Amino acid sequence: MAVSQSNHIRDAVVARGRRSLASKFADWVRTRPEGGIAVMFVITQTICVAAALMWPESFRYLSEANAAVTLKAIAPLGVMALGVGVLMIAGEYDLSVGALYSFLSIICAHWSNYLGGDIGEDGGIWWAPFAGLALVLILGALIGSFHAMITLRFAIPSFIATLGGMLLWKSATLFYHGAVALRFKPSEPFKTVFGGDIGFLHSSIIWFLVMSVVFYFLLQHHKLGNHFYAVGGNRNAAVAIGINPNRTKTIAFAIAGAMAAFSGVLAATRVGSIQPGGGLGMELQSIAACVIGGAALNGGRGSILGIVLGTALVYTIQDVLLLIRAPAYYFDGFVGVLIVIAVVLNTSIRKTRG
Amino acid sequence: MADTLTSARTSTATDGPPPGTTPLFEAREVTKRYGAFIALDKMNFYIGPNEVVGLLGDNGAGKSTLVKMISGINPPTSGQLYAGGKPVAFNSRADSEAAGIETIYQDIALVDQLSITRNIFMGREITNRFGFMQHKKMQEVAIDILGSAVQISGIDDPGKEVGFLSGGQKQAVAIARAVHFKRNILLLDEPTSALSVRETEHLLAYVRDLKTEGTSSVLVTHNLYHAFMVCDRFVVMSHGAKVFEAAKTDTTIEEVTDHVIRT
Repeated sequence: MAVSQSNHIRDAVVARGRRSLASKFADWVRTRPEGGIAVMFVITQTICVAAALMWPESFRYLSEANAAVTLKAIAPLGVMALGVGVLMIAGEYDLSVGALYSFLSIICAHWSNYLGGDIGEDGGIWWAPFAGLALVLILGALIGSFHAMITLRFAIPSFIATLGGMLLWKSATLFYHGAVALRFKPSEPFKTVFGGDIGFLHSSIIWFLVMSVVFYFLLQHHKLGNHFYAVGGNRNAAVAIGINPNRTKTIAFAIAGAMAAFSGVLAATRVGSIQPGGGLGMELQSIAACVIGGAALNGGRGSILGIVLGTALVYTIQDVLLLIRAPAYYFDGFVGVLIVIAVVLNTSIRKTRG
Repeated sequence: MADTLTSARTSTATDGPPPGTTPLFEAREVTKRYGAFIALDKMNFYIGPNEVVGLLGDNGAGKSTLVKMISGINPPTSGQLYAGGKPVAFNSRADSEAAGIETIYQDIALVDQLSITRNIFMGREITNRFGFMQHKKMQEVAIDILGSAVQISGIDDPGKEVGFLSGGQKQAVAIARAVHFKRNILLLDEPTSALSVRETEHLLAYVRDLKTEGTSSVLVTHNLYHAFMVCDRFVVMSHGAKVFEAAKTDTTIEEVTDHVIRT
C-alpha cells in the first residue's frame, strides 16, 4: 500500500510551469487577491502617463517634482496599512491606529526632545530620537496586545474594542500634550535615516518598501504568516489542527500597534512637527487601502502587494486630482467609488473560476 | 493475523479492554457537560492495537463529542484518559498530537483561502530553524500525499486554493493530511459523506491496510454497511452513553442496526 501515484500531478506541475507567460498571468489575476487591483493599477498608470505625454504642460504627472511629492506622501499610510492588513488577514480590525499614530509620535517627539535629541544649534544628542522611536515601537506593540487581550478575553468584536481604544488614545493624546502642535526636528543621523532624500526618493518611501518586503516574507514564507491566514480564514480549523488562535491574533494586534507608531514617527520626521489630531481618519483610509488591495473583510485573504498597490492607487487618485486642480473635497468621493469598484471587481473575477 | 487476535479477546461484550492487554488509548468514565446538558455520561471507550472500531449511533448520540475529546480540542469535565496505559490530560490538540492521534473531522477543518499545500502543513510547516517555510519540500511531500492515501479525482495542482475545490476533493485533502501525519490512531468522523463511491472504497481499503501497518482507527459513520466492511468491533452510543458493544464475529448487521435504531 501507499504506492505513490503522483506522477500525473508532477507532470501537471511541470506542464503548468511551461505555459506561456500570458496564461500564467491570466491565472494569477484570477486567483490572487491582488490580481484585480494590479490590472486596475496598470490601467490607471497607463492612462496617466499617456495623458502626461499628450499634455505635458497642463498635466505634469511625469515631472520629477510630482513623483517626489507623491512618493513622500505614500509612506505613512502605507506603513500603517501593512500592520492593519496583517491584522485583517488574521481576522480582526484595529480602528485605533489613527489615534495611536498621533499619540505615539507625540510621545516619541516628547522623549526625544527631553533627552536632548532636538537638532537645535548644537546638533543635539544623536541617540535620543532613536530611543524615542524604540520606546514607541514597544509601546505600540504593548497597546496592540492590550487591545488583543480585551478582544479575546471577553470575546467581543475587535471593531468595538478598538473603537473604544481609538477614543481612549485620542483623549490620552490631549491629556498628555494638549491640543497644540509639537516640534520634532531630530538630530543626525536620525533625520537622514528617516527623513533624508536619496535622489528624488525620500527615505520614508524606502522604509515603506523595506517593511513591505519584510512583511511579504513574514506572510508568505514564515510559518507565522501561515498561521495568520489559517486563524483568519477558518478559526475552528486552525484550532482543530493545533494552532493557538489567541497567541496568533495577539501578535497581529501588536504588529498593527507598532506599525502605527512607526508610521506616526515617519510622518513627524518629514513634516518637522506633530498635530495632535493628525492621524484622525487614517484608520479608515488604511482599511480602505487593504480592501482595495484585495483583503477580505472577514479575514483569511489579502496580500502585501495588494496593500502596496491599494495605497499607491489611493495616492494616485489624490495626485491626479491635485494636478488637474480639482477641489480637495473630491478626494473622499473618488476613494469611496474606488473601494466599491475594487471589491465588485475582485468578487466577480473570483466567481468566473469554478 | 490481526483479525484473529482482536476477535479472540473481544469474544464477549465487555465494558473495558480485555484483561492483560494495554490499549493504545482508553477513556474511563468520561463525562462532558455543557451547562446543564450532558453530552457524554460516564462513557468507557478504548482503542486496542491493530483494530478498527466502529463508533455508531444516531445524530446527537455524542459520537462527535467523544471524537473531539480524543483529539484534544474538547477536554472532559470529569473522568480519565490513558494513552498507552499511562494517564494523560488532553487539553489541546498538541497533547493528542504527541500521543500520535490524527483526526479527520466531519466539518473538514480546512482553510478555503490557503493552497492545498499550505493546508496540509498548517500548524506543522516544514521550516528552517528560523521558522521560514521550505515551500519546495512541502510541495514535494504534498504531491506524494495527494497521490497516495485517497486517489483524488481532478486535483493536479498542490498550489490550488482549497476554496476552488469540490466538497469531495476538500474531504479527500483533509483525509490525505491526517493519513500522512498519523502515527498510532486515526479518527475518522463521517469521512465518507462527501466522497464518491470509488473514493469511499479506496478510503475503506486504506483503513484496513493501516491496521496491518500498526495504526488503529475509529470510524464514526451512519453507514452500517461501510462499518461492517472494515470494523472489527462496534460501539453503539445513544444519549451520551454506550448502549451496545460487540466484536464483529459475535454480532450481525441486523443486531447492530437494531441497537442503533431502537435506542
